[in-house]
Amino acid sequence: MDWYEALALLLGSIIFLMAVGMPVALAFLAANIVGAWVFMGGERGVTQLLNNGMGALTKYALMPIPLFLLMGEIFFHTGLGGRMFNAIDKLLGRLPGRLSYVTVLGGTAFSTLSGSSMGSTALLGSLMVPEMKRRGYKSHMSIGPILGTGGLAIIIPPSALAVLLATLAQIDVAALLIAGVVPGLILAAFYIGTIWLQTRLDPNAAPAYDVEPMSLAFRFKLLMTEVVPMVGVMVAIIVLMIQGFVTPSEAAAFGALGVLVLAALFRCLTWTAAKKSVIGALKVTLMAYLIVFGSATFSQLLAFSGASRGLVNWAIAFELAPLAMLLVMFAVLLLLGMFMEQISIMLLTVPIFFPLAQSLGFDPIWFGLIMLLSLEISFTTPPFGLLLFVMKGVAPMGTTMREIYTSAFPFILCSLLLVALLIGFPELALWLPSM
Amino acid sequence: MFKKTYDTLLYGMAILAGLLLVWLMVSVITSVLMRNAGLQPFAWLFTSAEYGLLYMTMLGAPWLVREKGHVHIELVTAALPATLRTIVSRGVAAACVLVCLILAWKGFDLVLTNIERGDYDTRAYYFPRWMLTIAFPLSFGMMAIEFSRFVFGTDLMHSGEAGIHE
Amino acid sequence: EESISAVHAFPETLIYTKSFLSFVDKVNEAGKGVIQIDVRGGPEAIGMFQQPDAVRDGIVDMVYTPGSFYGGALPEKDAMVASNLTAVETRANGGIELIDQIHQEKMGLKYLGWFDSGVCYNLWTRNEPTFDANGNLEVEGLKLRGNNVYNAFFTNYLGAQVIDLPTGEVYSALQRGVVDATGWTQIGLIDLKWNEFLNYRIEPCFFSTDLGVIVNLERWNSLSDEARKILQDVAIQHEKDSVEALRGKRDEDFAALEAAGMKVVSLEGEAKANYLAAAREKTWERMKTLMAEQPGGTDNYDRLIELFYDLDAAK
Ligand code: NA
Ligand code: NA
Repeated sequence: MDWYEALALLLGSIIFLMAVGMPVALAFLAANIVGAWVFMGGERGVTQLLNNGMGALTKYALMPIPLFLLMGEIFFHTGLGGRMFNAIDKLLGRLPGRLSYVTVLGGTAFSTLSGSSMGSTALLGSLMVPEMKRRGYKSHMSIGPILGTGGLAIIIPPSALAVLLATLAQIDVAALLIAGVVPGLILAAFYIGTIWLQTRLDPNAAPAYDVEPMSLAFRFKLLMTEVVPMVGVMVAIIVLMIQGFVTPSEAAAFGALGVLVLAALFRCLTWTAAKKSVIGALKVTLMAYLIVFGSATFSQLLAFSGASRGLVNWAIAFELAPLAMLLVMFAVLLLLGMFMEQISIMLLTVPIFFPLAQSLGFDPIWFGLIMLLSLEISFTTPPFGLLLFVMKGVAPMGTTMREIYTSAFPFILCSLLLVALLIGFPELALWLPSM
Repeated sequence: MFKKTYDTLLYGMAILAGLLLVWLMVSVITSVLMRNAGLQPFAWLFTSAEYGLLYMTMLGAPWLVREKGHVHIELVTAALPATLRTIVSRGVAAACVLVCLILAWKGFDLVLTNIERGDYDTRAYYFPRWMLTIAFPLSFGMMAIEFSRFVFGTDLMHSGEAGIHE
Repeated sequence: EESISAVHAFPETLIYTKSFLSFVDKVNEAGKGVIQIDVRGGPEAIGMFQQPDAVRDGIVDMVYTPGSFYGGALPEKDAMVASNLTAVETRANGGIELIDQIHQEKMGLKYLGWFDSGVCYNLWTRNEPTFDANGNLEVEGLKLRGNNVYNAFFTNYLGAQVIDLPTGEVYSALQRGVVDATGWTQIGLIDLKWNEFLNYRIEPCFFSTDLGVIVNLERWNSLSDEARKILQDVAIQHEKDSVEALRGKRDEDFAALEAAGMKVVSLEGEAKANYLAAAREKTWERMKTLMAEQPGGTDNYDRLIELFYDLDAAK
């Protein structure tokens, strides 16, 4: 079978099954059964599929997702989160869309430092989205910024994916990590601009209400009692991480513990709240993990069948000008990103793209960053961006997949704009590492 | 009687999955504290957490089917008239049953192979592989039963609700 | 022309994978019109720990992987792990033939060749290592990263506080100080960039890499005599070539590391002898225990040790 036939078979079956409404995880499993049968020699291929899925699931790197979820759910069900947002609402006064800004700022700080896109999307999604919906924000005002900042985890250091990319590509790890700082912050600024634009274009997107004037002393008290302790928990786990007390994979467990302790101190830790938190975290985890189980194997089938490598080799066989070649590679990464998980994409494309980039005269650090950006975007591109499904899991009942797709869209545009900027002004990435 | 036993099993597995989630937190915290106190963390803390991820997913998945927690996209189903939607919805559920049955069957095969070969998972310990893979036939078998409720039962998997919201 | 499919355990950019790919090129050159190897990819195609099962079940025909990835099924791989010989000597003395025979019996696999042998492991540390009055390495307070290849040695002999981490997490763990020492092969440290944090190499080196090519036995037997001969001849040649090539690479790496400030610290005399003895004996112990639980028992144990370890050379 030629690569494009394999590609058509695999992508065709998954798209069809998802479109008719098969649960995403089951659609992956069904497409995997078809693929394994065809490319791995019949029913024994299905056995291999189960083995591969088991390998993909029993990975320590997946640990932050349920634990960050647990942390967010405890925040939410004990009412700690609500208290914090009430206070922030009061403190920020009349600024339209203030909680969306808070989301971008908090999300940028948290997701970048925690290094886990799925984990921080899970945390912020379970914490912010239901609360903001209750306060009358349109859902795209909470979902969009969270999806946007979730991806920042892999651009701004620390970033396990950036380290892996640098080692695979044999480029300077530190330089690639530092190169991500300025573009990452620019991206966060774009997100802020997007929210400002959204509240300007649609004043009803975020609630507007009057805030009673407060004395400075009262504001200070509010800040110290309602905001600082909650934010303190997040800051504390970040400090633990920077100090080398915990690895990023372990940090989430201490986050959950911290919120538990906090809830106990504030006397709002009830048995019901604890139970609801575990159930809430469990539901989203199970949903996301079964998708990981299916999609990891799907990625492998795309590679094993030769479909993805065929696509890559076909695309780079065109002899084009360097800029056009860059766009071709970027498009291939985006396309693969829609269906494959990030590490597989890197393993597959790095050995092919980096020598090519070098022969075209690209700076490898700069090219590495463009590649990271494409992976960042692929976390939130329909149909299979994993963050979209995590979001679907934590968003309130009745939030449709389409709402989530459309919420993500402006923030994907921000990333694309950043890529364009980096092409025009490579020094945005390269200035800091050269210092 | 059978139904009651089955439901107890389903919810019992879900509760176990929830406890495993809590165990993840406890095991990570314990091993970090031990390490920073200069002790050698028990390797089984680490390994049990990794295996816990698999057990948790498989034990909880059938319950999640009952709760309609496996995310799906209502695109076609939302656009269809009610009768046709019913047919498509039941058809999709039937396809899910088929997928789960195939995986349960091959999972059972895998367990037998693991026992016959004496396979071990080699991380910190040599752990009999069949004790992990046994989760597959159990989980997918029960998922097949749960999906079949959407084929034959009164409740449908698809609400068609996306159409109302959009 | 016949064609067999293959996958490799490590990413394409790793030195060991490059070695395997050069073997593939040699086969495809020598095998024109007879036999070709079709490489399907690395861990992105089949997960690295699932590859041994995949070749056993005939999903793929050939796999390049460390024996340690299927140590549960074949504890005899520890003979190679603890070895101080290379594929050249053990091919000549019948050691590899014995390993091949065990692969065939226990797993239904043909052991085609032991590549990239002769590379051993060192302990690498961030801070200057200290020694007790008898010259033994002091491991107290060392945050040592381990995995199941080394742990029989690190834990049972050195009594070290071992932190299990996958290779991919080691860079950031070193950066943050979660670990400050690790075992690793003589080569590859620069590729992983761990030398940014590690400043000392402790000699002597111990163990050996146990990377080999395994082929599904049914598929192997179905090949023409000519195809099998080409595969086996090229593999034996590559066993030799790879020892040479990697020795060259090791010297290059050591020179580059030294130029960048890596310091070498060595155990001496009795302490050195004890250290090496522990590395092999703890590993052999593990091998024997596991062999005893399997059909065939420890019948091959003495012979494996005789063929894979030269006690005189260790002195
Ligand atoms: Na980060
Ligand atoms: Na983005």
